[in-house]
Amino acid sequence: MNCEGQLMTQGPPAKPNPGLFKRNPPIAGEAEAIEAAKNGDAEAFSRLYALHKRRVYTLCLRMLGNVSEAEDMTQEAFLHLFRKIGSFRGESAFSTWLHRLTVNLVLMQLRKKGLNLVSLEETINPSEEDAPKRDFGSRDPVLAGSVDRVSLERAVASLPPGYRMVFVLHDVEGFEHNEIATMLDCSTGNSKSQLHKARLRLRELLRHPNGSPSPDVSTEGAK
Amino acid sequence: MSEPGGINFDDLKPEEFEQYLPELFATGDGKVSQDPRLQKFLARNPDCAALVSDLETIAETARSLFEPVADPSEKVWANIQSKLREESALSSGQDGEEQLWEMD
Repeated sequence: MNCEGQLMTQGPPAKPNPGLFKRNPPIAGEAEAIEAAKNGDAEAFSRLYALHKRRVYTLCLRMLGNVSEAEDMTQEAFLHLFRKIGSFRGESAFSTWLHRLTVNLVLMQLRKKGLNLVSLEETINPSEEDAPKRDFGSRDPVLAGSVDRVSLERAVASLPPGYRMVFVLHDVEGFEHNEIATMLDCSTGNSKSQLHKARLRLRELLRHPNGSPSPDVSTEGAK
Repeated sequence: MSEPGGINFDDLKPEEFEQYLPELFATGDGKVSQDPRLQKFLARNPDCAALVSDLETIAETARSLFEPVADPSEKVWANIQSKLREESALSSGQDGEEQLWEMD
């Protein structure tokens, strides 16, 4: 997969996805800052950094799970942005474009660290031992009302990297399965399957935050 | 992965239902609990209904994580300015013509 090519170019003109704009509504003053930044206006770059630094950093932190690496990657993302902002044509929300750039940088970094395409696939497909139990959970109350942002954030941080990546990209960032499949160089079905496994693992973690699962209730045990 | 098209959901077994779940969540708006095809099955299988409810709760709560909670340290912007200043100096032959990054 040519990640470099995906970092900063938007490809052929495409119909904007209204869902992306709904999730990433235009920010007041952003369009003017983008145009000024394209002309090399340093104040405009500063404004764009101020507008987007938290979202980019939080995304890096969730995907990498390490403050130092997340800061390095935030720096790289904005350097790429400022060098190549002229290629942004406004066919998607700017923040969506920036997030895609950031995700691709993080994936490149993970591959450099040894998670090449093959091992990334292995990470996305952990062994059966690591896979979430098929547990319908009749002996525990449902999670509704007991899950909050803090507990979920903690559970997400403890997911295996492959699960965490797909979950963050789909359920948090709002990318579609076909987009995730392209980014991770896997099939759409694989993305759907791994997202499901990630949610099952999160369910286990949220129901048993101290790591003491109840006796396994197999699929066959569900009446 | 199993495709749920053409399936009679009323006759499903729980383990079959689990095979279809990834695709069921991926289609429509992800509200499997409100899928009219599944109402009889879920009513007959409360454990499966509880599983669906939990997975929907997780997906819904995940959306609240979209808003960021943490700021990078000040050194990140300082490093960015420094790097761009270096690049600007190099590209202009270090003659000081382009001082784009003298923000302080």
